[in-house]
Amino acid sequence: MEFRWSDEDVAFRRELREFLAQALPPDWAELSKHGPGSDAQAEFSKEFCPKLARKGWLTQHWPKQYGGRDASPWRHAILGEEMWRIGEPRSSQYMNVNWVGPTIMAYGTPEQKAFHLPRISAGSAFWCQGFSEPEAGSDLVSLRTLAVRDGDEYVINGSKIWTSYVNYAEHCFLIVRTDPSSKRHQGISVLLVPMQTSGIEVREIPSVVGDKYFFEVFFSDARVPVSCRLGPENDGWEVVKYALAFERVGAARYARAADILDELAELARARGLLTEPTVLEKLGEARAICEASRLLTYRVIDVRAHGRPPSADTNLARVAGTLAERAVSELALEIFGPEALEYGHVAESHFRLAMTAGVAVGTTEINLNLVANRFLGLPRE
Amino acid sequence: MDFEPNADQQAILEAVGALLAQHAGAKRAIELNRSADYDRELDAALDAAGFQGVALADGTGLLEAALVVEAVAKAGGVVGIGASALVAPGLTGRALPGPIALARDGDTGPVRFAAHARTLLVDSGEEARQLTLAAGDFSPVTSNFMLPMGRIRTPQGRGESLGRGSGERLRSLWRLALAAETVGTMAACLEVTLEYVKRRRQFGRAIGSFQAVQHRLAQCAVLVEGSRWLVYEAAWQDAPAEASATAAAFAAAAASSLFAETHQFTGAMGFTREHDLHVWSMRLQALRLEAGGVAGHRRAAAEKRWCRK
Repeated sequence: MEFRWSDEDVAFRRELREFLAQALPPDWAELSKHGPGSDAQAEFSKEFCPKLARKGWLTQHWPKQYGGRDASPWRHAILGEEMWRIGEPRSSQYMNVNWVGPTIMAYGTPEQKAFHLPRISAGSAFWCQGFSEPEAGSDLVSLRTLAVRDGDEYVINGSKIWTSYVNYAEHCFLIVRTDPSSKRHQGISVLLVPMQTSGIEVREIPSVVGDKYFFEVFFSDARVPVSCRLGPENDGWEVVKYALAFERVGAARYARAADILDELAELARARGLLTEPTVLEKLGEARAICEASRLLTYRVIDVRAHGRPPSADTNLARVAGTLAERAVSELALEIFGPEALEYGHVAESHFRLAMTAGVAVGTTEINLNLVANRFLGLPRE
Repeated sequence: MDFEPNADQQAILEAVGALLAQHAGAKRAIELNRSADYDRELDAALDAAGFQGVALADGTGLLEAALVVEAVAKAGGVVGIGASALVAPGLTGRALPGPIALARDGDTGPVRFAAHARTLLVDSGEEARQLTLAAGDFSPVTSNFMLPMGRIRTPQGRGESLGRGSGERLRSLWRLALAAETVGTMAACLEVTLEYVKRRRQFGRAIGSFQAVQHRLAQCAVLVEGSRWLVYEAAWQDAPAEASATAAAFAAAAASSLFAETHQFTGAMGFTREHDLHVWSMRLQALRLEAGGVAGHRRAAAEKRWCRK
């Protein structure tokens, strides 16, 4: 065991911070208060991600043959931490580099790789994720969106929900049922659907998380070429599982929470509260949860760095990440008091994004199921 | 970064595991508890095999000591391994005559192992003090918390000062050792509870197949694993004040949950002396209160992070 960053990693983080000081606009704090999925942040990522790409950092953890640098998963984790702690200037493009690209590498045809991977690694691709449906949330395999083969096309009908980033996405990583008579895990396929395909309609679902955060996507006889399919027909569930394993700890939420906590402590100091035992206790409690969350996430990266298949460690990390988000965001409201009620206040912005932590990317309950079955060896219900 | 135990660490874990299988375990702990006794045999066996001095050996340090402390706690060993293998070597750079007890100046309540200790390390704020205990320095205490305890009668200020700043170092090492013991003890609680819920059947099925049970035990696993990595990182970094307090803060809070949940799911059986859970669960409460307890650890973690001058 060794709990230390290499000299190269330390140098990389320093260089990255220097770069960010240059690359972020003076009004970044204002710009980023609406969250990574906002139009403004997506727009900003169009200039920011190509800069990151030119530095060779955007997809440094990808293999050389796909435009990466074969950098260790740790190096990519540092990038993720530094991005999330300041509010994710990559916008939704973090998804592309974390799991869309790697899944295309694993299952894509030479044509799919040649088309998508250079766009992602150049920092100019926008994706959304068509997983959840009105009747298929945590129970993802009950999905009903159908893609029926018609010659060398699929005709898609159905709808997806809670789809973030779809308002500006160019492609959708869409899970469909290609065998109408199939049940559960069978008969599922993944399609990489161009969003300009006719027969796709997008509708916003207003929410308290923020404007343009949730959308519903309707497919009415939307036709895509069969060449859009990623991986085997009807056996796409393995592709989905592969993507999910990368996705579940894709966002370094603990880094954002820990940073907000530091800000809270500074504010408490300015108000003379940092000598109050109860304030110190609450700060210490939240800090401990953030640190546990950080290390459980590092454990997942370590498993990947050792080249081993994803394990239930991912689910442990997700549960801990949600605890950290909750601890810090609730404490933020308590410490700032009614000031935090104004839209765009640092505590409010954090609270707004943190409140989805236990639901987004697989609910806490699903993660707990997986911990119980795979980590504790308890029998399925 | 590397979270995998290296060859040395694996060898240590295997060797200490084999020793503990022979000398420790729930049965032995229950037997010793009848007479509130300390396990001198286990202490001697750990010493003879070099585990007490692992922190001082070439190429190993506090992380290896923490691994040993955790393993001994998980095996239910009734020895002051945290103090002897981790705290004393970390504080003084040498082994001290054991058993060793740890106390804070002004502690009036029962202290773990004080009735059997030869050496007492005292946190007196700015400095740590070391003194040799004699027969009249303590009185034994009856306790239901599965560890032998004593009440110290020694007047404050006695003993040899270990120098300015040694108080802070003692507190850090103590917190780290405590967190390592808590991890081993929690892991054992969880393990015996998992065995129980897989075997115990109600409504025609194993109670461990109910989601209401699974989720709460899965949450326990998150707490145990989180505590574990906090301990390993702090130990690898040689017990810095902030990281040690953070590990102790998380582990002490986790201990409350582990006690409540493992007793909940072992039902009335878990309260009996027939079932092994109490060997570890009762200790969790004792560990949780030591060295200032969860509130003290949390304040220390916050002070070290944000209140440095």
